Amino acid sequence: MFDIALPHAIGLYAALVALPLALIAIRLRPARRLVPGTVLGAAVLMAVSGVVHLALISAHPDEPITALLFLANGIGFIGLSLAFTWRWWRLASASLLVATLVGYLVYIAFGFESPDQVGLATKLLELTALGLVLVPAPGEAGRPRRSLRWTSLGIALPLFTLVTTSTVWIVDLARPDARHVHAGALLQATNEVATPEQVVAAAQLYSQTKAALEPYQDWHRAWTAGYRPEGAANMPSQHWSNQAYVNAGYVLDPHRPQGLVYANTKHGPVLLGAMFQMKNLGQFGPDPGGPLTAWHQHENICFTPFGFEFSFMTPLATCPLGAIDISASPMLHVWIVDNPKGGPFAVDIDDEVVKRIVRA
Amino acid sequence: MQSMFWAIAGLSAIPFVFAGEIFMLGLGLASLLLALATCLLAIGVLWRRRWARRWVIALEVTCLIGSLLLLVLPIGANHGPVALMTNVVLPIVVFLLLRKPRDETPLGESNRAQSAGASAA
Repeated sequence: MFDIALPHAIGLYAALVALPLALIAIRLRPARRLVPGTVLGAAVLMAVSGVVHLALISAHPDEPITALLFLANGIGFIGLSLAFTWRWWRLASASLLVATLVGYLVYIAFGFESPDQVGLATKLLELTALGLVLVPAPGEAGRPRRSLRWTSLGIALPLFTLVTTSTVWIVDLARPDARHVHAGALLQATNEVATPEQVVAAAQLYSQTKAALEPYQDWHRAWTAGYRPEGAANMPSQHWSNQAYVNAGYVLDPHRPQGLVYANTKHGPVLLGAMFQMKNLGQFGPDPGGPLTAWHQHENICFTPFGFEFSFMTPLATCPLGAIDISASPMLHVWIVDNPKGGPFAVDIDDEVVKRIVRA
Repeated sequence: MQSMFWAIAGLSAIPFVFAGEIFMLGLGLASLLLALATCLLAIGVLWRRRWARRWVIALEVTCLIGSLLLLVLPIGANHGPVALMTNVVLPIVVFLLLRKPRDETPLGESNRAQSAGASAA
């Protein structure tokens, strides 16, 4: 969702070229003096969206229906961006914009397309254009149906935006691509199947780490070593971080993991595993076990200093007030308790495992 | 549009409250209140209220400065087209539309305030 699908990049370049051209074209038309600025704004945005759709035809050479729909969309948007003095312009524009947005949602909901930045940016343009088409302007000729349009603008458009965003988000969370796991964790690129040497190396890393973590079964010793809990203490599990080890930049050192993960039980913290973390963003660590020990980097996290809490950035690239968008440098977990669903190096520990430990 | 973006950001924080992140409740509610305030300011701009225009300009400048800081700082903030559109381009456009009127605008002579109101709404 936050990446640009390579075949779609041409749509982005086309939009960057189309925007100034559309602005120049609209300034050259004398008819622009006859309509409100909102109409001209919508015409420019629809022209850009039309060009993006036409450019994306080349990205779908094996999908004739999709290519045909892109062609129809492109011609429709560009035609309407030129015909802004037409009597039925608002109705036609609103209909095409709604149909295009609904079509996109259907496409991604049924898995014909994956949401990416080009798709989202284009939908953002179209939602803005829809708002500009609907907003009444003073002194409009004909029957402006102001009440209906204000109602659409005040209720239908926000709901439509919410539905669009939610659909994109749900699809992205439910069907992440091969290099993404749960919400926004980007996996290190590795070979697909571990070689026998990688299996041995992963087992060695696991046994070394498990042995080195033995003292930290007692959380007091972790505290003495400089580990401190982070985030909400009322969660089933909690990360403890050693800032000195983070700053020192130790790389995959079983005796100096940058973090520990404890389950919060009523008898006190119970050690679940360790977390190795690299110092710099985008710099994945050594990967002795290949796909078994792939590092992951959390991206597009909304972090707030209030309580050290996190949420996820919305598809519209916004965070709640008081939180900022950050990424966490690559990390690798080693779970020393049995984690049957994901294994000892999984990105996450199984919730059921943690609940069982907490209950025990 | 901005009002909707903040409303969605506020709503997005709520599921994390159920997961135990209690501070997210405050942040979510604050975002929803900001969304409401932005919507009211947009209505004020449509009604040609000068105080609304001033507040919107202040809000846009604050958003823009914050967004530019996030883009510059090495914290891994998203630099994608959607982030640029919602956090940089939109505040700039609203700010430009709400500048003191001149004879002609990039979108036409007659309806600068209308366009600004529509964009803010």
